[in-house]
Amino acid sequence: MIITKKKDGTSLTLVLEGRLDTMTAPRLESDLRSSIDGIEKLVLDFASLEYISSAGLRILLSTQKIMNKQGSMVIRNVNEDVMDIFDITGFADILTIE
Amino acid sequence: MKTLRKSLNKKLLLSIVLLCVIISTVSCVIGFLQYSNTIRKLYNNNGYTLGHLILEQIDGDRIAGYTQTWTTDTYYNEMEDYLKEVEEASGAAYIYIVVPCRNGKMRYIYDSSGMNIGDYDPISSYYEDVCKVYETGEKPEGYFVRQSEKYGYLTSSIMAVKDNNGNIAALLFVDIHMEVIVSTLVSYVLRAALICSGLLVLFCVFYWFLLKRILLKPIAIIRQNAYDFANNDAQLTDTLEQIQTGDELQELAQSVLTMENVIIQYIAHVQRVTAEKERIGAELDIATHIQSSMLPCIFPAFPDRKEFDIYASMNPAKEVGGDFYDFFMVDDRHLAIVMADVSGKGVPAALFMVIGKTLIKDHTQPGVSLGTVFFDVNNLLCASNSEGMFITAFEGVLDLVTGEFCYVNAGHELPFLYREGRFQAYKIKPGFVLAGMEDIRYSEGVLTLEPGDKIFQYTDGVTEATNAHNELYGMERLDAVLNGNSKRLPDEIIDAVKEDIDSFVGDAPQFDDITMLCLEYKVRMEAN
Repeated sequence: MIITKKKDGTSLTLVLEGRLDTMTAPRLESDLRSSIDGIEKLVLDFASLEYISSAGLRILLSTQKIMNKQGSMVIRNVNEDVMDIFDITGFADILTIE
Repeated sequence: MKTLRKSLNKKLLLSIVLLCVIISTVSCVIGFLQYSNTIRKLYNNNGYTLGHLILEQIDGDRIAGYTQTWTTDTYYNEMEDYLKEVEEASGAAYIYIVVPCRNGKMRYIYDSSGMNIGDYDPISSYYEDVCKVYETGEKPEGYFVRQSEKYGYLTSSIMAVKDNNGNIAALLFVDIHMEVIVSTLVSYVLRAALICSGLLVLFCVFYWFLLKRILLKPIAIIRQNAYDFANNDAQLTDTLEQIQTGDELQELAQSVLTMENVIIQYIAHVQRVTAEKERIGAELDIATHIQSSMLPCIFPAFPDRKEFDIYASMNPAKEVGGDFYDFFMVDDRHLAIVMADVSGKGVPAALFMVIGKTLIKDHTQPGVSLGTVFFDVNNLLCASNSEGMFITAFEGVLDLVTGEFCYVNAGHELPFLYREGRFQAYKIKPGFVLAGMEDIRYSEGVLTLEPGDKIFQYTDGVTEATNAHNELYGMERLDAVLNGNSKRLPDEIIDAVKEDIDSFVGDAPQFDDITMLCLEYKVRMEAN
């Protein structure tokens, strides 16, 4: 999985490419943990994300909880497969998906 | 190892002997040259001393006269007698008076060995030097050493014979035999060689013992120590302490000792780590057993119940998994089934699974709606969830009398329902996962099963099983294999799905736990 970070003041955009699963999730987690301090608007671009596993969902959930306290989190360009997973797991209700 | 040491010994010994031989040969040769040169000079000087005596006795003017007349007279005969006398008394080889000519020859005025006055003879060697003396009258630098079969080993002293006006008239040669030099030199060389070889042997023995003491012995100790260390399970021996040479070898011995100590520490460390690893492995093994024994695993599970048949299986991807299934009687006529998946894998997921499974079973009570069960369980899980984990879970309760099947879904996969001869994914509204957020409301759904209907529930390990080409197993393949085996018993259906997944995945490693449960409602229970 390739993670591209773009920081603009207090807003941070992460573009994810590939599969977010048990193997790659820890990298996203440490990436987020190191750069999320002081961010008020977090944008996750899922245009090139092929697959998300429960390990990936766990990071979305913990990140959402952090962002609830310090600003907002938006997920963009979610494809059909990933959206299905969000729907089935009920994540669609708690995430802001554009 | 033994051969190597011997070769080091040999090499050193050979080089010492070679060096000594070279040094003694060179010193012998230099001594020989020096000695023979001194001897020559001495003999040559004797010739000049004799020559001076002769020159004082003979008349230069008369000699000059002979160079004109080339005839003898009375004085010549007196001179001849005198010179012969001198020759015999002094032991000189030859005494002769000549005039060097331009054609490379010399003309005799007097010769003690048979040449007559006026005879010519070629100058065999040193022609230029001879001419130079004839021209300048100075004492030559060389000793005119030569050797011939006819005359033997000779050195010549050449002096100018001058007339009363100081003009050079002829040259006086006094040749001295040097045969004695040869014998003296031979005895000198022999003696020198003998002394040298004696010293050489002494030196070799002494140096050999010195080398052995300061070099070979410490090296042998270090070598033996390292050999023992390597072949004796890294046992430390104290032989290195003996090396107290105070030089690089002692340093080397210290370094070897330090290295061996480090190796011992390292081995101990590796042993500790390995033991720890084995312990963890053993504990994980026990954990696997505990976990699998937590799930109902004796089938048929309810042999005295003819109303339903149930079968379930779990294959964890690691030693312990995060998936779990459960089924139990809530009361006499209600059967509960649970299928759940904890996010993540391994020990953390397994620990969280235990909490989830226990809480769900505890809270599923007769008369309590499943929505309430999940609401309470969710809040309890949230309170003990520091790691941000969550559980997707599906629970259903079947009323064996009416066939009414209540269910609640917390973000779990859609169940397959076998009704009217066909398996179909049953669309239900998903709720949010358990342990994700507090105070989530879960709504309970209801459907009615007829005898012969089946429910197949599973975790995402089934649909997301991945083959070597990174393709997912997917809902369509699951649908196909379920419908291909729909008429069979629950355990046969699960085995068929498992086989189908295995053949699809091939050699690719299993990433996620694979868990399935199948319930068949066979006949209605008779109400009391």
